[in-house]
Amino acid sequence: MQRVQENITITDLKKGSDLLFRKIYEDNRGKFLNFAKKYHLPHEDIIDIYQDAYIVFYNNVMEGKIVEFTSSISTYLFSIGKYLIFDKMKKNNKTINPDFDLSLIREKEELVDPNIDMDQDSLTTEQILLKRHFATLGKKCQDLLTLFYYRGYSIKDIIDTTDYASENVVKSAKSRCMKTLKERINSN
Amino acid sequence: MNKQDLLYHYFSNSLTPEQETVFQNLLKTDTEFKAQFEFENHLKKAIKSHENDRLKTTLQDVEREINMPKHHTLFNYKSFAVAASIALLVGWFGYNTFYSINYNSLYDSSFSEYPNTVYTITRSDDENSIEREAFVAYETKNYQIAIEKFDAVPENIQKNYVSFYKAQAYLGMENKEEAKVLFEQIVNENKSFVAESTWYLALIAIKKEDKEMAKIYLESLVNNYTYNKDRAQKLLEELK
Repeated sequence: MQRVQENITITDLKKGSDLLFRKIYEDNRGKFLNFAKKYHLPHEDIIDIYQDAYIVFYNNVMEGKIVEFTSSISTYLFSIGKYLIFDKMKKNNKTINPDFDLSLIREKEELVDPNIDMDQDSLTTEQILLKRHFATLGKKCQDLLTLFYYRGYSIKDIIDTTDYASENVVKSAKSRCMKTLKERINSN
Repeated sequence: MNKQDLLYHYFSNSLTPEQETVFQNLLKTDTEFKAQFEFENHLKKAIKSHENDRLKTTLQDVEREINMPKHHTLFNYKSFAVAASIALLVGWFGYNTFYSINYNSLYDSSFSEYPNTVYTITRSDDENSIEREAFVAYETKNYQIAIEKFDAVPENIQKNYVSFYKAQAYLGMENKEEAKVLFEQIVNENKSFVAESTWYLALIAIKKEDKEMAKIYLESLVNNYTYNKDRAQKLLEELK
């Protein structure tokens, strides 16, 4: 699908197609592994970093932080990946290649598009609790709340892309899901 | 606009500047509103983390698939010797089955649904055309609805690509016969998506274990188009 890959737009990605998500991962994997070779990290660490970089990139698209591609997708992935590699090197000071000059490590601002949210904050206790109970909700509730909070869908978008018939149906379904979630947290 | 609606708009990034002012004021003056906002903000982070876990698992699965040993049709002397011994034990039928082309696996490893690259569905899009509805259904894998909507697009405004995506929707529903008819029509009429349709016709032939037909489509792809040329070449080698 050569023709498709060259012209992937933010809109294509935001549609949330699993196929495209996978395709972009596969298409840029080789280039990323090649790029990351010079840091002499174990292969499994590089794969792990590539996956994390890809997820950061994807989330930034989904959340509207990247509003248009100012460079190719691989450039974004290299940039985010480089930040994550350096971050890992800092954390694993002892395991880095002795030939690698740590002074080359620069600050985040110099490495990635400043608009990109690296989102490395760990969850608060309340968020961990919410995450745990969210996972116990039924699939319909999980899907609805994910569209709403993660994908940033408006009620109209939700009606357009799901089986919900009207605004009121969406609103009452969402409020039922929120009620269940709160009850589960309170009974914890 | 009530407070709940303000929160809806906040989380879909669609507050107007005026609503934004009201929103900020409420955060300062209304403790109940602030508490609800904070709860939803925490939930947003929790869901994002949940989603990250899901994406990570998906990528780990993709990685496992990439690293899975490929199905080899060529075998070396040693494996031939082992196979020959097995053949002696289980007879010609068993041997033949063991080394025959695994059409299902060839199909599964080659097939992927063609993404919507022709119709842009944007969030702010107020247009509610049949075509838009068809692509929304296609994107969300509601193939039956997609087909009905594609059919409902008036012929005089029907774009060349509609047949191709309708065929894709049939493939999504595992209805290969209907898909095949449409792909053949596209190839015969020589309009948009001819190379792509040829590729899917080859895959359908593989699924039906029609080796000769599959080879014809794949050779046509290799000789006439650049789309999926390398993959077609590889499939041809596997089918030899």
